[in-house]
Amino acid sequence: MSAELSTAEKFKRFAIRYGFLIVMAGLFLFFGSVYRVFWLPANLFSILLGVTVYGILALGVTFPLVIDGLDLSIGSVAALSVMISAYMMVVMEISGVITIITVLVMGACIGLINGLLIVKVKIPDLLATLGMMFLVQGLQLIPSGGRSVGRGAVLAGGVTARGEFAEYFLFLGQGKLFGLVPMAVAIMVVVAIMVFVVLSLTRWGRVFYAIGSNAEAARLVGAKVDTYRLMAYVASGTIAALGGIVLAARIGRGDVQSGGTLLLDAIGSALIGFAVLGVRRPNPFGTIVGAIFIGMLLNGLTMMNMPYFVQDFVKGAVLVAALAFTFGLSKSK
Amino acid sequence: MSDTAPLIEVQDIGKSFGATRALDGVSVDFRAGEILAMVGANGAGKSTLIKIICGYHTDYEGRILFGGDEKRFATPEDAYEQGIATVHQIINQGVVQSMSVCENLMLAQLLQPGGRAFYDREALRKRAKEVAALMDLDFNLDTIVEELSQSDRQMIAIARALSGNPKLLILDEPTSSLSDKEADRLFEMLERLKSLGVSILYVSHRLHEIGRIADRVVVIRDGKKAKTLERPFEVKEMVTAMVGEIPKHQHIVRSSSKDASDVKLELRNLVVDPGKPPINMRIHRGEIVGLTGLIGAGKSELAQVLFGMRSPVSGDVLVDNEPYQPASIADAVHNRVYYVPEDRSNNAVVPIFTVRQNMTLPFLGVFDWFGVMKVRNEQARARTMIESMGIKCDGEEATIHSLSGGNQQKVIVARWLLEQFDLVMLDEPFQGVDIRSRHDIGRYLRENIGDRAAIIIATDLDEVIEVADRIVVMNGGAIVGEQLYEEVDRDQLLHWVSQQKGPLEETTV
Repeated sequence: MSAELSTAEKFKRFAIRYGFLIVMAGLFLFFGSVYRVFWLPANLFSILLGVTVYGILALGVTFPLVIDGLDLSIGSVAALSVMISAYMMVVMEISGVITIITVLVMGACIGLINGLLIVKVKIPDLLATLGMMFLVQGLQLIPSGGRSVGRGAVLAGGVTARGEFAEYFLFLGQGKLFGLVPMAVAIMVVVAIMVFVVLSLTRWGRVFYAIGSNAEAARLVGAKVDTYRLMAYVASGTIAALGGIVLAARIGRGDVQSGGTLLLDAIGSALIGFAVLGVRRPNPFGTIVGAIFIGMLLNGLTMMNMPYFVQDFVKGAVLVAALAFTFGLSKSK
Repeated sequence: MSDTAPLIEVQDIGKSFGATRALDGVSVDFRAGEILAMVGANGAGKSTLIKIICGYHTDYEGRILFGGDEKRFATPEDAYEQGIATVHQIINQGVVQSMSVCENLMLAQLLQPGGRAFYDREALRKRAKEVAALMDLDFNLDTIVEELSQSDRQMIAIARALSGNPKLLILDEPTSSLSDKEADRLFEMLERLKSLGVSILYVSHRLHEIGRIADRVVVIRDGKKAKTLERPFEVKEMVTAMVGEIPKHQHIVRSSSKDASDVKLELRNLVVDPGKPPINMRIHRGEIVGLTGLIGAGKSELAQVLFGMRSPVSGDVLVDNEPYQPASIADAVHNRVYYVPEDRSNNAVVPIFTVRQNMTLPFLGVFDWFGVMKVRNEQARARTMIESMGIKCDGEEATIHSLSGGNQQKVIVARWLLEQFDLVMLDEPFQGVDIRSRHDIGRYLRENIGDRAAIIIATDLDEVIEVADRIVVMNGGAIVGEQLYEEVDRDQLLHWVSQQKGPLEETTV
């Protein structure tokens, strides 16, 4: 109602809204002014390239977060995708196109199972997807008998794998568009735009947000709440599988350890996204900015000779600080 | 009953939530060995009063006197220690289901600050036995509460409340999930407590129970104490105090002539719940029907059938003489039958959305282009609604939480009047809504009803009389009477609302 806000109140609102982006711009200027290499296009793209896989996963997990759920299985889904890609092309010698389609369908199916466990069996989201995480992690090891799969690898039965990754498949992770833009980055950007359009511009996105905020109200205006919740997990699983494809294409082999820290990096990025523009809720723009922020910070600090082993500490500190900033400042509202 | 000085007095209690005045100058006194009943419609302020007395709300106006000395409780635990024990409505929040009877009975002792980390099981058991004996409970103390019936759980919750020897015991809707037989057990127990000198505040919607056990009745209406009744109670007097007195001045000009043959909605032998009588009703074009009756009379259940939330046992519904059987809420909306549910904050408001986003939620399909929302069209429509309903807000992009309760309610009503409807039902639309907003909503509905139909569901008679062309009274799942606005006879309406078979007759002496 009141048109005139006190200066302090105005400043606070400004800080909540743009504080995160200002800090990010400040860091960008700082790193670049100290180390000119930082600003070179090659370095900037390498930052983005480092972000792609967990960035894509983070965009996917934004869907469950929006409906007030969570998907902990995304990291292991990506890892399984890496293994299946390698196994299908290298061991079974199946074409890359069929491999990609199979992997995406697999991701969608895992998402669907997650969704059914949550919506129909009514297991809490955290538990259902945690269980699925273990299950998929274990599943990943079965086809190759726990070994990594690459050209010439000796498999469990003493057979040597003779196939190889399709050329165009590898291009997804290693190729460059116009000799400059890494293909993987382009994929991430396309996914980001798609997720942004769906969640922020369409009627379906509006319903996703309504369900996350007040599911009963959404149900009482006729929204098919269960279907939407199911679809959120299908989207998350499918996009995680796509992230796995990009990862497989980058490393060019089926590594059993490829899951690694993907899950935490992805969820961390999406949570940092809460702070971007101070919206305090999951949003695709914030998610991608959050992912890039982490990548940029690690790149800059590495240039400043920060040892690799403090990386996780830095990520955690950024996450806690960003959340404390947004939620703490706007609490009094 | 007892002529002694009151044990506890609350004086001039007032409380506001934002712009809403929930309680205003309420004074009640509690006497030892007496059951004081409190009645009132939903949202009248009963729960707020309880929450103030039991130490949950700490910022209130007025005083609480304990034997003449003023006390302010810092927390519910504080109030409990000073002798005020409360058993809240939802039993399963009152007991820890996975724990044994013994542990449940002794919960307060286990949680006491300064208690030892390792408690003495035997001593605790002994004390639990004493409490159980006091209440005449014959459970195995090792039974896990999950395995017990609702009434047993209720007894345990009450027994635990009593384990601290309270002076005042507050029971909020204690019988709402009990069978008649289980309720009888509870009443026996209350009689016993009374004889021990405990003062009991008994909150219930079930008037026949009150007639049976209460010594005095306090009626709360619109945040004020409407009346205190002494035995013998006149049920009609109680209901009058609850739902309103003399009809107020006519505020809204009604559409005059209606063609009685022009039926918009017809219910034929509609049975909503098994064992309930069939409902027959006709609503004409351009007619606003006020559906009233006490809580549990079957009003909301009827609306839920019409909105596709539950299927009827048998019978037919016709809209424009066509059979209408909604399979889901989406189906009802598709058939242009809309429902504004009661309790807007839980059932209607999407807190993270703006006024515009809250308004357009059911009709996103109207504003999209291949799925992409045309925000400008939405804004234009929202702005029109804001203006025509007189919604006070900082524009259509203001967050819903920046609005007062009454204006939020207008937004929720506007949500369903955004698109053409055949039938719109408003369930308790004036709960927690200031008088100004109430008029605005009624006026807008009246002006825009056209040749369609509307049902306003409200317990408060004033609220329905204010906007309705015809008042229909439900009682015990049946329609028991109706009157046109022009011939409103409040005594007759009250009689229909309060008439009851069985136990009530005995108590109206």
